[in-house]
Amino acid sequence: MLKCSELVERSDALLAGELSWRQRMSFRMHLFMCRHCRRYVKQLERLLRAIPGMHGKANEAEVEQVMRRIREDDQEQHRH
Amino acid sequence: MSAIASNSTGGVAVAQLQALQAGDDAAFRELVRDHHRALTAVANSIVGQSDAEEVVQIAWIKAHQNMGRFEGRASLRTWLTRIVINESKMWLRKYKRERSLQVDIDSPQPLADRFSSGGHWSKPPAAWHNDTPDDLLMVSELADCLDHLLGDMPDQQRSLLEMRDAGGMPFDEICNELTISASNARVLLHRARSQLFKLVDHYQETGEC
Ligand SMILES: [Zn+2]
Repeated sequence: MLKCSELVERSDALLAGELSWRQRMSFRMHLFMCRHCRRYVKQLERLLRAIPGMHGKANEAEVEQVMRRIREDDQEQHRH
Repeated sequence: MSAIASNSTGGVAVAQLQALQAGDDAAFRELVRDHHRALTAVANSIVGQSDAEEVVQIAWIKAHQNMGRFEGRASLRTWLTRIVINESKMWLRKYKRERSLQVDIDSPQPLADRFSSGGHWSKPPAAWHNDTPDDLLMVSELADCLDHLLGDMPDQQRSLLEMRDAGGMPFDEICNELTISASNARVLLHRARSQLFKLVDHYQETGEC
């Protein structure tokens, strides 16, 4: 049977849909019997959903800085 | 994985996309607000901190010029991430900076100390509070620890995390960009994720980081 540490190593592949039918079955058997690993997989999914937003949103000054350079570049293009 | 990519990075609303492609200023500002810091983190992992801001600025100018060519096949985040990677590579070529990424395939797996020798959990994960998933890493108490963790992370691990999990780029494409084998990339990405997992787990359990 799959060990907890092995399940953790393979959980990325599971969530990416890369495991074979047989591998998914042994995964499912383990999860059925092991609440720690059930919790691990559930929380890993939550973590992965949180990563795209982990740097937060830019503030107004950062946005304005970007927009100012875009405007300057536009004007530059028009002059040439 | 598409469920992850479409959550806070993609899921481009038709109205937002139409406004962007029509050159709407407010819509573009919104785009910058949502993605600027994540894109700076991608550039940072390739060109380093001192040049990241300038590279991302150039990337925004390119994105603004090419907005009409965005076809909506990838999420906006992924499309922007690709532009940033291209500009980062051009920057390195232009200034002839050889920046070889640290290879760290020998560093230990961050969760290794959580298992007994038999492979069972010796310290199982804590139960995380039921906050909304998108906010998990945005807790203000975690901000400094998260910065440190990402700052100390070896370049390849950080690039993988920023490109794959934050940028939603396909795995194969990232392996090509980083000239790294798929099997090494998987190991490194798992380590990066495990470090974040440990950080959140510790915070959820103790209230500090
Ligand atoms: Zn288990």
